[in-house]
Amino acid sequence: MAGTPHALSVRDVCKSYGSHEVLRGVTFALARGTLAGLVGENGAGKTTLLRILCGQVAADSGEVAHQEALGYCPQETVLNDFLTVDQHVRYFRAAYGLEDTAHAEELIEELHFAEYRHTRVDALSGGTRQKLNLTLALMHDPQVLLLDEPYQGFDWETYLRFWELAARLRDRGRCVLVVSHMAWDTGRLDELHQLRDGVAARWEPAR
Amino acid sequence: MNVNVRGAQSRLSTAMGFALLEHVRNRFALVLVLFYIPLWLTMEHWFVTSDPAAFLLRATGQRLVVSGGQLTMVSGAVNTVTLIVGFMMFMTTFKSLEFDRRLVLAGYPRLHLLVAKVAAMTLAAVLIAGYATAVVCFYWDPVRPALLAVGLFTAAVAYGGIGILLGSFLRSELAGMFVIIMVSLLDTMLQNPISNPAASKDGVYLLPEYGPTQVSVAAGFTRSLPYAQLLLGPAWFVSAWLLAMGAFHLRTRDHRRLVAA
Repeated sequence: MAGTPHALSVRDVCKSYGSHEVLRGVTFALARGTLAGLVGENGAGKTTLLRILCGQVAADSGEVAHQEALGYCPQETVLNDFLTVDQHVRYFRAAYGLEDTAHAEELIEELHFAEYRHTRVDALSGGTRQKLNLTLALMHDPQVLLLDEPYQGFDWETYLRFWELAARLRDRGRCVLVVSHMAWDTGRLDELHQLRDGVAARWEPAR
Repeated sequence: MNVNVRGAQSRLSTAMGFALLEHVRNRFALVLVLFYIPLWLTMEHWFVTSDPAAFLLRATGQRLVVSGGQLTMVSGAVNTVTLIVGFMMFMTTFKSLEFDRRLVLAGYPRLHLLVAKVAAMTLAAVLIAGYATAVVCFYWDPVRPALLAVGLFTAAVAYGGIGILLGSFLRSELAGMFVIIMVSLLDTMLQNPISNPAASKDGVYLLPEYGPTQVSVAAGFTRSLPYAQLLLGPAWFVSAWLLAMGAFHLRTRDHRRLVAA
């Protein structure tokens, strides 16, 4: 797959847990500047696939290739309850090896949670925790973004702001894959894939 | 200075700062340190008789006959620091496993995170052992208080390692708390100077609190310095820590076999 114009390529990825085959040869590719959706019923293997793509879980077989910098927003907020919003940003700045936190600051402003900068995460609402969860995935401005149900807990305004942000990232050449268990707001997506019976297929829902 | 070295120093100091902050913000552990240690030792001072009690200091082969209350207080001090540091390290390991994995996948070097956690634990163990020693000294004068603090420190790090190990494997907070309390209780009871004054079976030296208890009793009542026993607590720490690090390494592995797209 080297040398292809794709930002993200997945070929024949299989994964089983015991005798349960979750993924049975998932293949798809996304180009740079794509805002894509991946839908599927509960238990279809969406989160497993994303964890394989970001390296958290090993596939049994298959191949994954992506542009170097990758951002992953997990479905469950993965934060440290003892630290504040600002401390999370500083921690991940060190992890990503960033010069500054300018991009994180922009995201915090855009997602409207600057007032909670000095608040410990265990005192934040579910929606604000999710905003921070998303910010940590985006703050190094990665070329490929894997977002697992990224708008859970968002109010309507924030939900709309999220889609504006995703569209802007796409317009800047980023490849954004949004995973959801519901195929709604598909009009915002450039392409949609459905994960069913362990394989992914392009899907055109009735609009 | 080389940019890479500066970056590594910065990541290490960031991780250390936050590892310490986690302990400072663990209010339950702080309450335990501030109130549980003096409460336990004060109750032992009040309730345990000062009649002479015998204890075989296996480190030197001496058979000590000393105040039962003071002997119990040394044993109690060992037990309190093991419970608290074991609990602290279990909680921080248990709670931050997913978060640490996210940091590692984002590029944080594992070694920096691990060194930071051990440094924070060591500092906490020094402070807690010092505090417990001060409380003991409030009631009576151990022969070598500094060595008593060192003995309690070795007990704390032994259980710090056990806490990290349990935090790496157990899947519920309740299970971790229960196991730490049970292990610490068993450990203390089996070599309690009152219930088992001769510490009579040879296998007793395999218990995690054995070395620290021997050092602490020697410090309380003699001028001897049991070098070998001083190393047993840290040896427990290193063994438990290495096992836990194996688990940490496996769980934070990056499974990507990257091909440039």
